[in-house]
Amino acid sequence: MHRLARQQPLRQQGETLFSLRDVSYSYPQGRQALSGLSLDIMPGDRVAIVGQNGAGKSTLLRHLNGLLPVQSGELTYKGAGFDAEHLRRARLEIGLLFQDPDDQLFCNSVGEDVLFGPLNQGLELEEARLHADAALGAVGLLDKKQRPPHRLSYGQRKRAALAGLLAMAPEVLLLDEPTANLDPQQEELLLQRLKEYDGTLVIITHNLLFAYELCERAIVLDRGHIHHDYTLRELVSQRSALREHGLDFSFRFVEQALPEDRLPAVPPGAQDVGRDSTPAAQPIIELADYAYRYPDGTAALNGLSLTVHAGEKVAIVGENGAGKTTLVSCLMGLRRGRGLYRLAGESVTEKSRKENCRTVGLVFQDSADQLFCPSCFEEVAFGPRQQGLTKDEIAARTAAALRQAGLAGYEERVPLHLSGGERKRLALAAVLAMRPDILILDEPTAGLDPDGEERLLEIIRNLDVTLILVSHDLFFVRQLTNRTIVLHEGQLVQDYGTEAFFADANLTSLNQLDFTYRNRCGLEIMQLQHEHEHTHRHRHLHEHEHRHGELEHSHPHEHVHEHGHSYTHTHHSHDGDEAEHTHGHLPRGDKVHDHEHPGHKDEPHDHEH
Amino acid sequence: MTNPILQLPWPVLVLLLGLLVACLWLALVAARRMAGAVESGPDGMLPLLGGAAAQRSPLHDWDPRFKIAAILAFAFLVVSLRQPPLVAAALAVALMIIPLGRLPWSRPLRRIAAMNGFLAMFLVVMPLTAVVRPGDALIVFGGLESWPFNLRGLLLALTIVGKAWCVALLMEPLLATAPLGATLEGLARLGVPRRVGELLLIAHRYIHVFFDEQQRMRSGMVARAFRPDHRLDRMRDYGNFVGMLLVRSYERTHRVFEAMQARGYAGAMPGHYRFTANAADWLKTILLLAFGVGLLLADRLAGGGA
Amino acid sequence: MHISDGVMPTSLALGSGAVSLAVAAWSSRATRAEDLPKVAVVAAAFFVAATVHVPLGPTSVHLLLPGLVGALLGPSAFLAIALGLVLQSLMFQFGGLTALGGNALLMGLPALACGLLFQLFRGGGAKRQMLVGGLCGGLGIVGSAIILALLLAFSGEDFLGVARLALAAHLPVVVIETLIAAFIVRFLHKVKPEMLEAPFTLKRDRP
Repeated sequence: MHRLARQQPLRQQGETLFSLRDVSYSYPQGRQALSGLSLDIMPGDRVAIVGQNGAGKSTLLRHLNGLLPVQSGELTYKGAGFDAEHLRRARLEIGLLFQDPDDQLFCNSVGEDVLFGPLNQGLELEEARLHADAALGAVGLLDKKQRPPHRLSYGQRKRAALAGLLAMAPEVLLLDEPTANLDPQQEELLLQRLKEYDGTLVIITHNLLFAYELCERAIVLDRGHIHHDYTLRELVSQRSALREHGLDFSFRFVEQALPEDRLPAVPPGAQDVGRDSTPAAQPIIELADYAYRYPDGTAALNGLSLTVHAGEKVAIVGENGAGKTTLVSCLMGLRRGRGLYRLAGESVTEKSRKENCRTVGLVFQDSADQLFCPSCFEEVAFGPRQQGLTKDEIAARTAAALRQAGLAGYEERVPLHLSGGERKRLALAAVLAMRPDILILDEPTAGLDPDGEERLLEIIRNLDVTLILVSHDLFFVRQLTNRTIVLHEGQLVQDYGTEAFFADANLTSLNQLDFTYRNRCGLEIMQLQHEHEHTHRHRHLHEHEHRHGELEHSHPHEHVHEHGHSYTHTHHSHDGDEAEHTHGHLPRGDKVHDHEHPGHKDEPHDHEH
Repeated sequence: MTNPILQLPWPVLVLLLGLLVACLWLALVAARRMAGAVESGPDGMLPLLGGAAAQRSPLHDWDPRFKIAAILAFAFLVVSLRQPPLVAAALAVALMIIPLGRLPWSRPLRRIAAMNGFLAMFLVVMPLTAVVRPGDALIVFGGLESWPFNLRGLLLALTIVGKAWCVALLMEPLLATAPLGATLEGLARLGVPRRVGELLLIAHRYIHVFFDEQQRMRSGMVARAFRPDHRLDRMRDYGNFVGMLLVRSYERTHRVFEAMQARGYAGAMPGHYRFTANAADWLKTILLLAFGVGLLLADRLAGGGA
Repeated sequence: MHISDGVMPTSLALGSGAVSLAVAAWSSRATRAEDLPKVAVVAAAFFVAATVHVPLGPTSVHLLLPGLVGALLGPSAFLAIALGLVLQSLMFQFGGLTALGGNALLMGLPALACGLLFQLFRGGGAKRQMLVGGLCGGLGIVGSAIILALLLAFSGEDFLGVARLALAAHLPVVVIETLIAAFIVRFLHKVKPEMLEAPFTLKRDRP
């Protein structure tokens, strides 16, 4: 073994780290992903690349470490193009975190996988082990070294994939949707590791709150072009720009839970189990002392009791591993535990559990696990067809469900080729076509872009079903439910109104549901975005027709007048009372801005020419 | 043609058939439960290949290169045997090796259960279809003179079962006493192209990924009222299901390859297992091989004498 | 269907092993070198597809899909099948250790033949591809059953009865596999047509 220490990093030539000039790329099928893109990234930059699905973000990222060849234009890294040797060495110092950790963890144990990079860098085995152990320690997985990746949770796999990169001590980290499908706790951990990282960072993300914490610079891509390149602060403060690129997450800032009048007549909660004597209060779901144990012995549910009445909107929250998904698959009848489970008054037995799908519909977290047909029509018609309905009934239900999900006209489209948001709505349509009384949504917002989230929210809000929402997304919980159940280690620890849940200060310590950083960022951005029209006198340059006596002409000129305009500005406190605010802001300098100014022509003008 | 023929009244046949059906039913139940673990999910788990590195036992300490060579050679020697008593001896040794490696019995038993359907068929069919040779003992049941039951066929089937069980029992000592990577690295040191081991490792990793994917997709179908049966309509659903499974994995192949390249893969995985052989490794290897060769010699000598 | 350990005489086991090795070597050389890891991943997919059970009368059969593997992978199919069988044997004991060579031949040779058939006759239309794909699916099983019967027959005259029985037992499987292969090809034609073009094969006529 003639292994030398890790090679010296490539020498930096010139000032830029990455320099792209007029780079274009089209896929073999003909889709143009990048067109004439020019971009400079300096050493130490922390860049967020944002934009709609299909804007070319992943394609750009795959150019930065030479996975895709430059078709036209020029790309240099540290002053040189990616020829064979330069590329080989560049890849050893540029780490790319894939969206799906299973793509990246291709070895049979976590330890072997983390060793893969350092050994390719030419380290001696002993030294590589040191680096690997340090990286695993940093992500908290040192004790899982011998585990095969498929026996880890999703969040752990994501961390293991990151450890595989950190062990290589990369100069550049490229991250593709790093927070997709992570719970808040895992997201926070990832955030901490990335904050400590001091190299160049390029992140593709829909999660602007996450990007806001990490990056200074934002690049907005639109159909293969760079649309904006400015600071992240500027980006998030401009709602119009966000909206244009489907990134507007501001709809989340509307703070209100379901209005009280939509509460069902029967007060929710475990305390009213005793009222079962009244026939009207027959619960649609009744679990008593329900337990589920996996074949390998781990207990996922421990003596759980729960009553849900028709029409209720219930959220289930809890940390990863609290038993939420197990509970949901028990309700669906995919698993059967011990204890009483009555669905619409009927006791669910081993035989009858397969009939649960007549009453309960479940939308999976990952749409890919639910969609398997070659056309949207077949996909949505699958459920009704299995139920043995007539052809006409199937066609009618399919059309109705597609319309409900905003997918009318998609009948012949291929589900696999749809965007993430469309696929989620298709999965919802496929469940709705079976006309379930109870709709269960498992993490419906995981991996969606803000535009997709907003549309999904609108659809779910209008559904007339008993809703069970499993989510880390507190905004969705607040918008869609009026009762919240907190699970912890397979037990129900809280069951109260959603407003009470939000007021509960013990939440964080109880089950590590740490939403504080999201709340903090959200508040900050909300203030940045606080934008409304107000009127005050101010002096500015503008171009207008105006009159000096007999002379009528038009040119930019400066004068003071009063007009209403909208201006993004910061308030130091946000207590909601508009009248209390002072709306002073710094003059906009000499920027010209457009506004209606009726009668201006006839106002006196006394400036020099 | 002088065949010792044993005439038995037909009720004995009914009794024997009843016994056989009972055995087959048991085997079927066992096989169903096995298949059930694989098929009906959502908690079915595939067995993992490879054991932990930390454990100690005479088998765990055995240098993988020597272990692989010895066990593979022994397996081939065993399947060459023809005499039932010698196959029984080989089976006894295989049974002894398992506690020697401090291995649990569940996995070898699962392996044996998995083969039983196929082997049960041999046990039934061979006595009825084996060619009748001079000297073969036949059992003829009253009323069924045209279907003689050939005892030599039964013995032949039993030897096959014994040999198959023996090899199955050897698999756990071979695979579960070192990490899979170490075993395949050992195979590479024995001259098998390194590429083969790499491809097996990748395939093994993604079998588990795809299996989990398959289980979740199946749950997705069951949640939408899918019930397995064999109407034409269902065949289309199965086709879509398998087709989607293949498409998802095909798309993944490209991403996996990109991920490998992105971390500096240039045609070879870095090896990180080191082997050192000592006298004990040689001794264990020679012992096992000597026993195997001894069995074969005894088999052929006895066969020649018979 | 597989041959288990202890059926074939050692000479036949070793002989079929040698032939499989030679074919597998040819198959890996017909695959672009950089695509070998991809073939391993696809082999894993077919392995998992073969754990899908389809009900058949009172019992169920698992899919084999040799014809489809051939249709999708062309010459690389043999390599993928060999990898799958090694792992199947190591993980489940389906098809023994010493019989690996024979099992690889009985699954792999029909796959290669079906691959050729599919690439020659598949044409462009959906209906035609579905038809040819289904045909490949059925013929793959027929081919496997014939090679299985041959291997059994060569194992000794005592096994002729078993060989005949094995052939008969494959008949219903042929029907199921034909149908499912046809529907899989229909799906792929619509969703991912490039998968039907043996994407990992070294194209010799390339510049």
